[in-house]
Amino acid sequence: MGAAMTRLALIGCGKDTPHCISASRRLFDARVVAVVDADVGRASHVARHIDAPLVKTSLEHLLAGHGDEFDAVVIQADCAEHASLAVAAARGGKHVLVDSPLALTVESADMAIAACDAAGGRLMVGQSLRFAPAQQTLKERLSSGKLGTPGLLRIHRWEPLASGDGWQSGLDVLREGTPFLARAIPAIDLANWLFETRPTHVYAVGCKQSSGELESPDYFQIHLGFPEGGMVLIDEARTLPRGDAYFSLSVIGSMGAAYADDHHNMNLLYRGGAPAALNANHGDLHVLSQLEEFTRAITEAREPVIGGADGRAAIEVAIAAAESMQSGRSAVLSGDNYELS
Amino acid sequence: MSSVEITNGQKKFRCAVLSVVKHAYVPHGVAAHPRFDLVVVADDPSEPAWVHERNEKFAAEYSIPYVKDVEVAIRDYDVQVAVVSSQAERHCDLSVRAANAGLHVVQDKPMSTRVSECDRVVEAVERAGVKFLLWNRNFLPALIQARCEIEGGAIGLPYAIHVDFYFSKDSGPPKGSRKAGDLPINWLERQIEAHSDGSDGGVGVEPMGELKIEGIYPLAYLRMLTGVDVQRVFARTTSMFHQVNADNDVDDLATVTLEMERGIVGSLCIGRIGAASHPDIGEIKIHVLGSEGALVISEARPEVSIYYRDQPAKEFRSVRVAIENDFLLMDDFARAIDTGSETVLDARAGRAITATVEAAIESGRSGTPVEVDAAVSA
Repeated sequence: MGAAMTRLALIGCGKDTPHCISASRRLFDARVVAVVDADVGRASHVARHIDAPLVKTSLEHLLAGHGDEFDAVVIQADCAEHASLAVAAARGGKHVLVDSPLALTVESADMAIAACDAAGGRLMVGQSLRFAPAQQTLKERLSSGKLGTPGLLRIHRWEPLASGDGWQSGLDVLREGTPFLARAIPAIDLANWLFETRPTHVYAVGCKQSSGELESPDYFQIHLGFPEGGMVLIDEARTLPRGDAYFSLSVIGSMGAAYADDHHNMNLLYRGGAPAALNANHGDLHVLSQLEEFTRAITEAREPVIGGADGRAAIEVAIAAAESMQSGRSAVLSGDNYELS
Repeated sequence: MSSVEITNGQKKFRCAVLSVVKHAYVPHGVAAHPRFDLVVVADDPSEPAWVHERNEKFAAEYSIPYVKDVEVAIRDYDVQVAVVSSQAERHCDLSVRAANAGLHVVQDKPMSTRVSECDRVVEAVERAGVKFLLWNRNFLPALIQARCEIEGGAIGLPYAIHVDFYFSKDSGPPKGSRKAGDLPINWLERQIEAHSDGSDGGVGVEPMGELKIEGIYPLAYLRMLTGVDVQRVFARTTSMFHQVNADNDVDDLATVTLEMERGIVGSLCIGRIGAASHPDIGEIKIHVLGSEGALVISEARPEVSIYYRDQPAKEFRSVRVAIENDFLLMDDFARAIDTGSETVLDARAGRAITATVEAAIESGRSGTPVEVDAAVSA
């Protein structure tokens, strides 16, 4: 007899939705049965792509009219709504996969975690960076002890200035900006995951390179210090010209090192003049793996690999980084909290 | 014989090598240029026997005399250039004495273990009106290409620049290998002993971490590609790999956030990360973000990869090619002497880099950002 099918509702159509559409078609034991977005045209468009029968303009309407027709939500709405949507879904008896960040404040994160705990459902925070094939391989090698103790993690994450995402124009993306926390947390979470703890020291610098009118910096660098001398540098830019993004990650351990970057994974295209570099990427495997982990955690009645506590820890570090950037001081972990030194 | 010969209308320079206790890459580099002749090796008589042995060996290699008196050698051999490659803590003193005698100076890295010593050099070379070149790698092919692209406007104005500078060599026993009752490893003894297999680094009495020993190279890249000074740093440092570093409380792994003039942000990852951590000499990369684009440069390129049956495990598979760094550095130095222009890394630039390193080490200890001491003290 086959395993039970998990019925998912996609809440909000954001920048990752095209990846989600692609990945959801490959889910074996789950399917998306509902799409929710305030823009009904956008929701209908996505629903058609993934054969989802239900289209609603709010989670509230979906729960009220079709509460027994889905088991879990995948929240990809605006990050300011993540926590409240997670609370509402949990109270409606649904498991929750919420895109990073879990919330924009620690208090909101705590509310979401408490609601999911009280309801007895699963809460997973989406951190698709962890599920990228390179990072999975690297984590496996670290965990097996082949690289020794992690000492240094270096991440470069560069994106185009305003590429749009299929739903918004590039101009809209630039105008609205993405909150600093939302951009900083994926790499911070990756660092916490690889070092298996949170940092003791946080220092950050950043700037509004493209325009002083941006809501948050389009360039920042976060410098983290971990116990036992571990250190992390996160270099994040959203200033590249329209076109490919760039990602590079290296880990230096006490007994070995790992290098994963687009600089190595480049193919060359010759069409006259200078050759073009083609990125040999991994497609949507990171999103698919994340969805699979969520649905397996539900069917196996276990906690997902990224829980609310992970999401909360990354938020705390990101807030410390924001405060460091603003004050020009470093933040030091004192007890459970970060304090500016 | 005239002290300055004329070759193709250009002056030739007679050079005194003032101490050569490392792997002699600097005097070899100087000698590689046709306008520079090594004519004497000299050092202070009070130096220990191992120093004299190395000096004598180098002098014999070039069939030139070794004189155990620096001032006498400068006076008697009619030299115009001093090539300083001593223990690190003696670099500046020898350079100051050479400058005071009116010699131009080519000096090995690090400039010094102390910023105050660098200040003495700045004062001496500027007062004497001589040229100073701190040895560096700014003329490697990849760096030249990066500079051309940036100066040509390919990525607009640079606003962030990052350098990874990993050196994948071992340095004696790994950290954690010291047994109970073993004495801590003496820094200088280890460096002297390691000379035979080439794993020495930071030769001198004073222990030095990788930031001090190698930091000059990536920081010189940053300086050349941006043209600005570092004003503030935040750093994390640790001894992660090697027992000698742990025993002497100096870093073998470090990360530095660099806040520079014109609001430019930078960073440096540097480490002597052990032979197991890279198939070749180590990952050295430069990432530059500009207002209109970005650049990723691998310092090792161009290179050729060579594989063959029974290849020794420790032989580098990838071999750097088209390296003219030594020649171009000395060409730059000659041009500076000829025209009065500054060298690619002059005394003030070297002093600024030393101050940046000193601030980073202090930041690593304190856990707080540290301002870089910008003022040269008289």
